[in-house]
Amino acid sequence: MNSNKGIRNLFIYGGLFFFAVMAVLTYDTMQQLPHRAPEITDEVNAGKMVWHKYDCIGCHTILGNGSYFAPDLTKTAQRKPHEYLKNFLINPKIANPKATMPRLGITEEEAGKLVAFLDWISKVDTNGWPPKPILAAPAMVSTGELSAGQKIYQSLNCSECHTLNGIGGTMGPDLTHVGSRRDRVWLKGHFKDPQKYVPDSVMPLVIASDADIEQLTDYMLTLK
Amino acid sequence: MTIKYNSQKIAQNFYTFAVLLFLLQAVVGIIAAIQFIWPDFFILNFNTIRTIHINAMVVWLLAGMMGAAYYVVPEESETELWSEPLAKIQFYLTVVATLSVLLGYVWMGLDPQANKTVFGAGLLNEGREYIEAPRWADILIVASLLLFLLNCFMTVLKTRKWTGIQGTLLGGLVMLTVLYIPGMFYTRSMVADQYWWWWVLHLWVEGAWEVVAGALIAFMLMKLVGAERGVVEKWMYAEVCLVLFTGILGTGHHYYWIGTPPYWLWIGGVFSSLEPVPLLIMVWDALRTTRENRNIENRAGMYYITGHVIFTFVGAGIWGLIHTLPAVNKWTHGTQITTAHAHLAFYGAYVLLILSIIYTTLPAIRGIKVYNDSRAFKSFWLMTISMIFIALTITGAGIVQTIMERLMGLDYIAVKSGYNMWFWIFRAIFGAGFLIGTVVFVKDYFSLGKEQ
Ligand code: HEC
Ligand code: HEC
Ligand code: HEM
Ligand SMILES: [Fe+2]
Repeated sequence: MNSNKGIRNLFIYGGLFFFAVMAVLTYDTMQQLPHRAPEITDEVNAGKMVWHKYDCIGCHTILGNGSYFAPDLTKTAQRKPHEYLKNFLINPKIANPKATMPRLGITEEEAGKLVAFLDWISKVDTNGWPPKPILAAPAMVSTGELSAGQKIYQSLNCSECHTLNGIGGTMGPDLTHVGSRRDRVWLKGHFKDPQKYVPDSVMPLVIASDADIEQLTDYMLTLK
Repeated sequence: MTIKYNSQKIAQNFYTFAVLLFLLQAVVGIIAAIQFIWPDFFILNFNTIRTIHINAMVVWLLAGMMGAAYYVVPEESETELWSEPLAKIQFYLTVVATLSVLLGYVWMGLDPQANKTVFGAGLLNEGREYIEAPRWADILIVASLLLFLLNCFMTVLKTRKWTGIQGTLLGGLVMLTVLYIPGMFYTRSMVADQYWWWWVLHLWVEGAWEVVAGALIAFMLMKLVGAERGVVEKWMYAEVCLVLFTGILGTGHHYYWIGTPPYWLWIGGVFSSLEPVPLLIMVWDALRTTRENRNIENRAGMYYITGHVIFTFVGAGIWGLIHTLPAVNKWTHGTQITTAHAHLAFYGAYVLLILSIIYTTLPAIRGIKVYNDSRAFKSFWLMTISMIFIALTITGAGIVQTIMERLMGLDYIAVKSGYNMWFWIFRAIFGAGFLIGTVVFVKDYFSLGKEQ
């Protein structure tokens, strides 16, 4: 049994050595964290507490860790309008009739804090994660040159909420055949004031010049 | 087969508790699988179901380890346990703490507002995966672990037989207890929160628990095939040594994208890639030992331990290695690939470990000479084959998700409830297969040695 003394000591002291290295790296990491993210205000912290209170991590991932049942929320605040997110959190089904996220009883105040928290996390330096989808561009322009309306559609990030030919978000309705459902007047009016056309709509109003809205509408009408 | 010291019997209390929680884990696992297909399927939302699924697992694996230690320590020390009443108290403390936490989760599931924030932490649920247990329960858990360690150490001190096996076992258990503490304080930064959270989770499963497993494997090889102590202890040290040398800094594979400095890409990549090495040594050690010593009395125990070492290597080693390098992990991080690995690794490395120790020690505890092991084999194959297919279907879903969402930029929900639907359906079917295997095992556990 004594013949194992050498390797036993290697186990004990080697293990302690690696823990010591880990401790030093941890110290250094903790020193660097504040420089890799915006300041944590009291509101952001309050949002984090609300996050824990409702066990959001039991469905979502954040920074890529958590449960894998619902979308990752690391960059959500950069991609979706904050007003929309607040409405969604308070009552997902009103914001998005197809939503399966349950109504958890989040108050308006709590929703505001959560959005502040999500906004903070979206600005953390994550070494480039999540990466830009490298195959996305080829998939979108497979039909060739983009029309003016298509470019506006892309630059206004409409695809965050709408699907076209299978690509895009599912918050709003699929727009693949919207041109056969809606006419020019409806579309233009809806862009300028969604709630007037669809009560309780959470679609953000489109902020763009009249000319751009005209071209966007032309584009919508080609989708039949 | 009989036990040498009467107090070793206390192990059975812990095993029974573990086995019942295992059944609960499998049942709620099915509910979770159905919710992937049909989100409103149950009165409790997915988050509550998943919390119960993973917490039941952590607690039953820990209960299994405690039971095992109460069996091993008296035997290695060649004396009765220091205090049997203390062990009983510690057992009931564990049961009461677990059940109250469980009730709290259900309550919160029915009424999310019940999870009030008290002293900066949730009263019923801390909202951090795997360690959701609220602060008051953390304290009870640590108290229970400390009473348990006290009992073990006082037993060792009675005879001062510091064998390699029990030294390593207790070392691993102390490490496990200490590493629970980084998960017990609040941080304002979500980045720091996840940083410390991985100290608990990663350093448990790829550190402390592996050390415990190394010691238990050595003990079982001696029991099952009469292997020579000097030799198994040497290999045990080699394994646990490499586990710590690769696994501690291997924590870096969780620090690539959470807001921590970029040097972790190198440290995590290099050290975690080496983590499968000790797992391979474990396989080699177990297979060599069992081939050299062929006088096997307990075939079921032997079967499970062989399955254990092989599936540790497959689930943790191979399924871990495929996504551990930063260049791959950048695309797979946060996808179902992780889930596939988590299932196969926990099953291989820890579920089968605890089932091996149960099959190795239970016949002695119950004083049985021979028993019908056909049910043990049946449950082994039902569970193992089901788990392989569960892991394969989730891996398939993970590949589709990585390509469509991460590479092509499709929406998460479009991929999950469209393209991946068939994977969820098959996963639920294999999940049912697993549950049947679990039921066969539970039945076998309760009837072993009690028939005829
Ligand atoms: C029971 C599971 C569940 C819980 C708990 C849950 N969510 Fe969700 N969440 C979802 C699902 C599923 C979606 C995807 C859209 C849908 O189908 O509703 C979603 C969507 C979202 C979105 C929109 C994401 C986007 O990219 O448009 C936000 C924001 C969000 N959740 C935040 C939260 C927060 C904050 C919490 C905790 C207070 C939380 N969720 C708790 C399931 C859940
Ligand atoms: C935050 C998510 C969101 C964004 C961003 C968004 N929408 Fe919407 N959109 C919705 C929702 C929700 C609806 C359904 C309610 C409604 O009709 O107002 C909708 C409805 C529509 C409709 C009506 C579809 C129909 O069949 O009734 C059109 C057209 C539309 N959006 C176009 C656009 C365009 C163009 C953009 C980009 C400028 C855009 N949306 C940006 C959420 C969004
Ligand atoms: C020993 C048993 C092991 C178990 C029980 C285990 C378990 C887990 C679990 C549960 C997760 C997911 C945590 C979450 O929910 O987010 C995970 C993540 C991970 N594991 Fe393991 N693991 C083991 C060994 C290994 C090994 C040996 C490797 C590497 C070779 C590895 C590599 C990884 C990686 C890279 C991730 C992160 C995935 C991501 O988030 O991108 N694991 N593991
Ligand atoms: Fe890990």
